[in-house]
Amino acid sequence: MPEQNRRSTFFGERVGLLIALAVLSAVPLFVKNRAIVEIIILANIYAVYVASWDILCGYTGQVSFGHALFIGGGAYTAALLNFYFKFPPWVTIFLGGGVAALFGLIIGTPCLRLRGPYFALATFAAAAFPYGLTDVFWEVTGGLDGLYGIAPIWPTLEGKYYLSVLLTAICCGLVYLGGRSKKGLILKSIREDEVAAMASGINTTVYKLTTFVISGFLAGVAGAFYSHNQLHVGPETLSINLSVLVIIMSVVGGIGTITGPIVGAYLLTIFNEMMREWEELRLLIYTASVVLFLLFLPKGVLPTLTDGIKQWLKRKGG
Amino acid sequence: MNIFLEILVYGAVQSSIYALLAMGFCLIFGVANIVNLAHTALYMIGAYLIYSFFSVLRLNLAMAILLSVVSTGLLATGMYRYCIRPVILSEWSVMMITISLAMFFQQLMIFIYGPADRNVQGFIEEKLALFGMVDIDAQRLLTLVVSVILLVLLWLFIYRTRMGKAILAVAQDREAALFMGINSERVYMAVIAISAVLAAVSGAFIAPTIGARPEMWAPTLGKIFAVVVLGGIGSLEGTILAALLIGYLEVIISFSISSYFGEIVSVIVILLMLTFRPSGLLGKRIEA
Amino acid sequence: MGIILETQELTKYFGGLGAVRKVSFTLIQGEMLGVIGPNGAGKTTLFNLITGFLKPTEGNISFRGERITGLKPHEIVRKGIARTFQIVRPFHQLTALENVIISCLSPREGGQGKKDGRVEEKAAKLMESVGLSGKEGMLAKDLPHGDLKRLDLARALATEPEVLLLDEPFAGLGLMEISSLSPLIQQLSKGGHSIIIIEHKLREMMKLVQRVITLNFGEKIADGTPEEISRDEKVIQAYLGKGGMTLAAG
Repeated sequence: MPEQNRRSTFFGERVGLLIALAVLSAVPLFVKNRAIVEIIILANIYAVYVASWDILCGYTGQVSFGHALFIGGGAYTAALLNFYFKFPPWVTIFLGGGVAALFGLIIGTPCLRLRGPYFALATFAAAAFPYGLTDVFWEVTGGLDGLYGIAPIWPTLEGKYYLSVLLTAICCGLVYLGGRSKKGLILKSIREDEVAAMASGINTTVYKLTTFVISGFLAGVAGAFYSHNQLHVGPETLSINLSVLVIIMSVVGGIGTITGPIVGAYLLTIFNEMMREWEELRLLIYTASVVLFLLFLPKGVLPTLTDGIKQWLKRKGG
Repeated sequence: MNIFLEILVYGAVQSSIYALLAMGFCLIFGVANIVNLAHTALYMIGAYLIYSFFSVLRLNLAMAILLSVVSTGLLATGMYRYCIRPVILSEWSVMMITISLAMFFQQLMIFIYGPADRNVQGFIEEKLALFGMVDIDAQRLLTLVVSVILLVLLWLFIYRTRMGKAILAVAQDREAALFMGINSERVYMAVIAISAVLAAVSGAFIAPTIGARPEMWAPTLGKIFAVVVLGGIGSLEGTILAALLIGYLEVIISFSISSYFGEIVSVIVILLMLTFRPSGLLGKRIEA
Repeated sequence: MGIILETQELTKYFGGLGAVRKVSFTLIQGEMLGVIGPNGAGKTTLFNLITGFLKPTEGNISFRGERITGLKPHEIVRKGIARTFQIVRPFHQLTALENVIISCLSPREGGQGKKDGRVEEKAAKLMESVGLSGKEGMLAKDLPHGDLKRLDLARALATEPEVLLLDEPFAGLGLMEISSLSPLIQQLSKGGHSIIIIEHKLREMMKLVQRVITLNFGEKIADGTPEEISRDEKVIQAYLGKGGMTLAAG
C-alpha cells in the first residue's frame, strides 16, 4: 500500500509539472503587459539557478553559499566572448556553462570533503574571489558598471520568452528526472548517510564532485542566458547577495524536492518585482520576510502546502 | 625601512582585529555549536553605531564606545534568543537564519544611513612618529593597543574566572557540564555577549580607519573563516597565530602587489589549507 | 582452501592511544571467525581498518594475497569485502528495497558488470533470502530493529562479497530473533562466504564459529577454537579481571 501512495504522488507531481509547463507556454498569448512577460522570463532563469543549486543541497546534502560563482562565471564568460569576439549567443551559453563547470571542478575538489558549515563557508569565500577580479580588470569587464551592448538571445520578446521556457524546461527537467533515477537514488543515499553509502560500494567523492560540476554547468548556462537577456553583465551576478538569494528561494520553496525551490523562485521573483514601487523599503522588507519565514515556516512553502493537502485529503477520506 | 615599519604596524593592527573576530566566532561555535554567520555583521553594526554616537550625535568618546558596545551586545543576545535558539537543533537552519540576519542588517544600514561609505573621524587625530622614522596615525596604534588588551582580558577571563571555566567545561562536554550543575543556557548567553562585544569593539575602533560600509561584513566573514581554518577551532593559540599570519600576509601583499590580491589571500589560504592540511596548524579536524 | 584475508602487525594509534596494536590474524576461505573482547578492545576499529574507513598507522592487510592496505572503502567493497555496522545505518528516508538497490549499483571488480534492469529483481530476491519479503515499500525509518538487522545483511550481500564482516549482528535482538537470524548466518557460511563476526553474545556466537580471536586493549591475546578460548586464562582475566580466575574456577 505504501508503494501505491508513492506512485500516485509521483504521478500527481508529473501532471502538476506538465500543467505548469502548459501555463507557462500560454503566457505570451494571453498577457499583453510586456513588463509581466519580462518578469516571468526572469523567474524562468531563476528557476534554473535554484534547481541547479538544489541538486547539490537537496540531493547530496552539501549546502553551497557560493552559487553566484557559477552564475556569474557563466554570465561573464558569455558576455566577454560576445562583446569582444562576437561569439553568437548559442555558443557563448555553452561555453559559459563549461567555464562554470570548470570552476566547479576546481573548487569542488578540495572543498567537498568538508562537513556542512565548513563547506558552506568555503564556498562563501571562494565566491568572493571573482567579484574583486571584475574590479581589478575593470578595463576589460567594465568594473562596477559592467558591460553593456551584449547581443540579445533573440530579437523579439515572444521569442526570448519561449527560449527562456525552453531553458527552464530542459534544465529543470534534467534535474528532476535525474533526481528520480538510480543516480539520484545514490545521491540521496549520500545525503542520508555518507559512511553507509561508502560501505555500499559507492565512490561518494566522485558522485559529489560530478554533481557539483553539473550544478555549475547548469547555473553557468542560466547565467549566460541572463546576460543575453539583460543585454548587460555586471558584478551583481557574482555577488554574495545572489548566492544567498538562491538559497533563500530554495528554502522558502522547500529544499530537497527540486519542485519546491522552483516554486520558491517563481514566488520570490514575482514578489520582488511587485515591490519595485517601494524601492527603498523593498530589500529591507524582503530580507526581514526571509527571517520571519525561516522562523515560522521552516519546511518551506511547497512541503507545507503538500502536507496540508494530504491532511485535508485524509480528513475527507476518514 | 619606513615601509618595513609601516608593514609591521599595519600588519599587527589587521591581525589583532582578525584575532578578536575569530576568537568570538570560535567561542560561539566551540561552546554552543552555533555557526554565527552574522558575527561580522555585528562588527559592521559596531562601526555604524560609533559613527552615530560619535560623529553624528557628537557624544563623548567613552560614552559613544560604551553605548555602541552595549547596544551591540543587547542586539546579539536578542538575536540569539529570538532567532537562533528556536532553530538551534539544526546546524543548517542556524546558518540560514544568521546569514539572512546579516543581509537584513546590511539592508537596514542602507536604509538608515544610505549606501555610501560613512566616515568616522579618528579618536585621536594625531600621527605619532615611531622610532623617529615613520608616521603612523595614532588611531591605528590605539586600535592595536585596545585589541591586545582585550585579547589578554579574554584569556584571563576564560582561564581565571568561574564563568570562564564554565565556558570551557561546556565547550568540552555539554552533558557533563549539565550534570555538574552548570547552566548551559547562561553560558551560551555569556558567550554570545562576549563575542558581540569583541566584534563591536573591533568595528568601532577600525571605523575611523576604513569607514563604515553596508557590505563590509561579507569579505571579513571570509577572512575570519580563513583564520579559523588555518588555526583550527579548538585552539586559542592557533587562532592567534593564524590571525597573525593572515593579517600580515594581507598587508604585505597589499603593499607589494595590489590591495585586491591582498584581499584574496585569505581565499587562497582557505583552499590550500583545505586541500593539504584540513586539521589546521594546531587544531582539531573539521572533515567528515 | 587457502587464506582469504590476512592482517600483519596491524596497528592504529589515535594520538597516544593505541586502539589496535600489532594485530595479526588469518581468515581461511569458508571459515567463520569470531572476534571477542571487552568494550574498547579495538574490535570495531579492526573492522574499520580492514574496510578502509581508517588508515593504519602500521601494518598490512591482504585479501586473496593482494595488499589492500590504504584503499578507499568503496574500492574494498568492490574487491569483495562487505560489512555491517554495530549500530544499524540504513538510509532512513528511502524504502527498504531502495536501501538494497543502492548496494546493487556498484559493479564488482572482475564481475560481469551492471545489468541495470535487473537490479530491482535482484534486490527483491535478496530481501526474500533474509526473510523480509513484503516489506520492500516500507521506509527504512519505519522498520523495527530486527528487520533493520536483516536489511543490513541484505545490503551487505547485495555487493556480492566473498568476505562478510558482521559487527554485532545480534545486538539489540531478543533470543527468539537471534535463533531465527543464526541459521541465516550459518547458511551464508555454508554457501561459501568467509565470515568474521564481532559479538558480545558469546554463547550464541560460539555455536556458529569455528575459531575465535580475542582482543584486549588493542592486542590479540588469544586465538583458538571456542572451547580453547573459553578456558583461556588471559581471556577470562580480560573479561572478569584478576579475581575472575577464582570466579571461573569456582
